[in-house]
Amino acid sequence: MVKFRSAALAFKSLNGVICVYKPSCVSVKQVQHTIRTNLCRDLNALPDRPIEQRVEIIGPTNAPMEVKLVPNYADNPLVCGPRYIKDDFRCRVASHLGLFSSGVLLLGLNEGTTLTYQIHAGRPTRAYKVHGQLGKATNTYFWNGKTVERTTYNHVTREKIDGVVAHIQAAHQRTMFELSGLHMESQTTYELASKGLIRPAESKLPVVYGIKCVSFEPPNFTLEIQSVNEYDKYLWTLVHDLGIQLKSSAHCTGVQCIRQGKFELELALLRKHWTLEHLTNNMKICHKLLEDNLQLLKPESAVMMQ
Amino acid sequence: MTLFGPLSKYKRLLNRETAKIMCCYTQNFTYVDSLSKQHNDCNALQTVSEDLSGITPFFPKTFNLAAYVNNSETLKKLVNLNVNLSEIEKKPYVVEKILKLDFEKDMKQHIIFLNDFVGLEEMGNFLTKNPLILCEPINDLQVRVNYLESKGFKYDQVKKVISANPFWLMLSTVRIDRRLGYYQNYLSLCGKEVRYLATKQPKLITYNLHHIRTNMFVIKEEMGFEDSELKNMVLNKPRLLMLNQKSLLQRFNFIHQVMKIPHKTILEQPEILLCRNFKVKQRHLFLNKLGRSQYDPKKENYVPIKALVEKPDTEFCRQFAKCSVNDFNLFLKTL
Repeated sequence: MVKFRSAALAFKSLNGVICVYKPSCVSVKQVQHTIRTNLCRDLNALPDRPIEQRVEIIGPTNAPMEVKLVPNYADNPLVCGPRYIKDDFRCRVASHLGLFSSGVLLLGLNEGTTLTYQIHAGRPTRAYKVHGQLGKATNTYFWNGKTVERTTYNHVTREKIDGVVAHIQAAHQRTMFELSGLHMESQTTYELASKGLIRPAESKLPVVYGIKCVSFEPPNFTLEIQSVNEYDKYLWTLVHDLGIQLKSSAHCTGVQCIRQGKFELELALLRKHWTLEHLTNNMKICHKLLEDNLQLLKPESAVMMQ
Repeated sequence: MTLFGPLSKYKRLLNRETAKIMCCYTQNFTYVDSLSKQHNDCNALQTVSEDLSGITPFFPKTFNLAAYVNNSETLKKLVNLNVNLSEIEKKPYVVEKILKLDFEKDMKQHIIFLNDFVGLEEMGNFLTKNPLILCEPINDLQVRVNYLESKGFKYDQVKKVISANPFWLMLSTVRIDRRLGYYQNYLSLCGKEVRYLATKQPKLITYNLHHIRTNMFVIKEEMGFEDSELKNMVLNKPRLLMLNQKSLLQRFNFIHQVMKIPHKTILEQPEILLCRNFKVKQRHLFLNKLGRSQYDPKKENYVPIKALVEKPDTEFCRQFAKCSVNDFNLFLKTL
């Protein structure tokens, strides 16, 4: 743990990307707000610079005047407010997580906002754990919606789920090539495709690279999904469609992001650790990770790196 | 002659919501007439033998008090008392009134009066919270304190009431009396209990009554506590009535319906309702996962529900979950 000698030094070191664990039912905006206010609280508690001096020339003007150096009241934190306020921090997410999703969230602080922009433009794959429940379909595809359908699920087995899931993955392989922006029957496309998976050229349509059922305890099941350009509602609809294809119905009970690019779950800071010391530590680790993997910021080709 | 520093220094402060421009006051210009006469018949560089130190430029319009503080003895003294002017200036209508006061004339008596109840260390905090008390007539304040004493409050209690709730002295005796009467009637308290409640949580008495009524409704009708149980809970934890009713009900629903804690246990340990829901939730889910969520004191491996709220996570894990904090942190990352 780093102990800071002064608030100014600490503030200067706060430029970069941090990786936090967003709890569900807390919005990204609220996460940003909490982190910024916590940082301000910790910075204001650190030793501060001395109060500025002020030159005062007093006395009658027709006699020798007195020059005095007095502390400047206007510089007192009690008068001009705390040294660091929330607006001093720029904060930006690399990719959005919905209100009900939880998991790894990348935040750029101050100069780090450019990095988050680059990470976002590099389209890293994100891995999710999506929890679903069979037997009930809702109008929002999520647990908070109204029930629109109830079905039996006794006929659903692990094998059937695996089959349907493999089918969904195969269907997405085709969209992956369509979204590469190349002509489907050209030599370039062939050469790209022979190297493996490729990144989409635009950020509009979700592409699923891998989808797998990792646990099945009827009626609950968990899918692990690797994808690019997805958003929380899209993952909910995936579960809903899965339910229909299984000749039953399903709704999503939770979405958890377990990886974003190279940023894993172990790195993510829990809500109780959102303090200056932990955040600067985390920022250092993230910085090292980004330096080791420069392709996260500027991917050289559309081919996915491992 | 004193000059202001460049206002750009306070540029950051200008961004604050204090959009309303505070108007300047003070400073009489006695020399202006004679100066302008002189100016007409001689050139500008001529030396003047008179004392011109009384002539200062107008105070410019400003968004904050920092521009005035170096020139105002009153504001300097307030800062020396640890009053946070940056908090006060968020409300321009308060600033307008405070700027018109003079320390020696208008504030000194009030501060000497308040010193008996608040103490000098807490004075800054007190005046930051409620600077308008300096605009109340001092006789009124004395009457309000006398009222409390006439109702049987001891000196210590009066001290606690006034220092813990800076707004108490702003309310007239009629209003305070009505409010104390409301609590006495509604919760059927005896005189001693009213005094106990007012001393324990003085903010409750001056709180928004509509809010209090709604919370009482939530506790009685929506949660299903009896009248006497409500009284016990409020006397034990008066802050219950000041919580947001939505989150209060949400907490209760989780504790009662998911954790299956009966009303009786909640009544004994109402502090569990004061804790934010996510804390109770994550600790309960963790204990549940370990198979230790056993809140019945008659069975073995009993975990008191207080344990879900109190103590830091390390203590909780060691004492009740019987595992290391790292396991708990790992668990939190699966939620």
